[in-house]
Amino acid sequence: MNVLHILIDYASALVLPLLLVGFPLYGMFKKVRVYEVFVEGAKEGFNVAVMIIPYLIAILFAIGMFRASGAMDFLTDLLRPLLAVIRFPAEVIPMAIVRPLTGSGSAAIVLEMIGQFGEDSILVKMAATMFGSTETTFYVIAVYFGAINIRKTRHAVPAGLIADTFAMLAAVYVVLWLFG
Amino acid sequence: MLNYIWGGLIVSSLAFALVSDIGDFSSDRYRNGSPLPVSVSFDEGYDPSARLQNVTVRIAAQAFSDHFHVDQSADSEWTGTLLQTDEGRELRFAYEAAVPEPLETICAHTGRGDCRAALDGQPTEEVWAAGVVFRPVRWVKMNAIASAALDFAETAVTLALGLIGGLGLWMGLLKIAEASGLLYALIRLTQPAIRLLFPKVPRNHPALGMIVLNLTANMLGLGNAATPLGIKAMQELQTLNPTDDTATDSMVMLLAMNTASVQLVPPVLLVAIMGLQINQLFFSIVITTALSLVVAIAAARLLGCLKRFRLSS
Repeated sequence: MNVLHILIDYASALVLPLLLVGFPLYGMFKKVRVYEVFVEGAKEGFNVAVMIIPYLIAILFAIGMFRASGAMDFLTDLLRPLLAVIRFPAEVIPMAIVRPLTGSGSAAIVLEMIGQFGEDSILVKMAATMFGSTETTFYVIAVYFGAINIRKTRHAVPAGLIADTFAMLAAVYVVLWLFG
Repeated sequence: MLNYIWGGLIVSSLAFALVSDIGDFSSDRYRNGSPLPVSVSFDEGYDPSARLQNVTVRIAAQAFSDHFHVDQSADSEWTGTLLQTDEGRELRFAYEAAVPEPLETICAHTGRGDCRAALDGQPTEEVWAAGVVFRPVRWVKMNAIASAALDFAETAVTLALGLIGGLGLWMGLLKIAEASGLLYALIRLTQPAIRLLFPKVPRNHPALGMIVLNLTANMLGLGNAATPLGIKAMQELQTLNPTDDTATDSMVMLLAMNTASVQLVPPVLLVAIMGLQINQLFFSIVITTALSLVVAIAAARLLGCLKRFRLSS
């Protein structure tokens, strides 16, 4: 299984330089005027970033307020007895709540937990697995849909949150199974 | 859905802040206006005419506990300066040193980098038993949510503008890939598999290629490349969208797959945080992410069939 690990590491390191060089090289080979075409495409970058701004402001300021209000502590207390029934440790509840909301916030929680429990603790392994195996759902929604001005998101949010909830539970049980 | 969640986040943060502040108010958590007993000693003896003097302030554990109704087991000591003016005496001390709660909140709320308080009583030559009165602290959480809203709005702009470089780079490269036909070679190779997930995208459509590149970058932990590629994929999907502002099934599928994040390589930030321990987590992350990807795909597919999420509605 270690071979797989090494293979993925190699691919991860090499794919970016290969694409960066490969695209223009193949273009030159096909007699595309690579510089002119590149610049034409790159022009769009600025407009897309600017289009995203209102969506990102809307999402992030609401999340920032929610975090600052202390609602997280309340939610943790509320969920604690429910999740205790399914052996979900109370210490990782804040991580499970924050992960879909903010990336920097959940990184801070992992750091805090390392300070409190140490890198080796199973709780930190759970939190880190949660961090590594999911994305900041609301940020992704704001950026991807913002870039094309999609305001009616239909089932994107519920689908994302269902997957997140499942990932949080899975992280706990997979870590318990592998390290418990 | 997002309307409710967004509104809910805002309204509930106001509600929680209000409850928390009223709780502080009714329990008189910060003891606004009442003096905390401290002992002040002058480093170079008391000089009644000096404007600024260096002092050492001691707070006995017992006095602190009695004052704030908390358990504080250790005495605390700070160095600071005493400012004497016609208006009265003010104590200023830096609070980088661990200040026990709720004093930390009081200091953070009333000062700018240092903690300031008025001093009661008449100074004496030796150790002066004084009372410090901090500026009243009210509406801590209300202020916190207001400043958080502004901070995060600024962060949003910084984040979005930070994307410009990566977006430009990848959009330029993809334009070359499209013009040279490389993208279509990739599409022909991968579309039998990828169209199972995106059946509504026509054969040989550029969106398929962008989706493949986005998912690959995600898998290899290349977050900086994955976002521009995902945005480009969304733009291509938008060309197939009969409406302007409503997401299509394919868009929701791509989004769900991205939020579930198909990562075989842990994100750089996590590697930086965890150090060597990250190697142990390789399998737990891969298993969890694979499971959640399956759930995301199923959820995107099944929820799309529900009446309330139908495209026509």
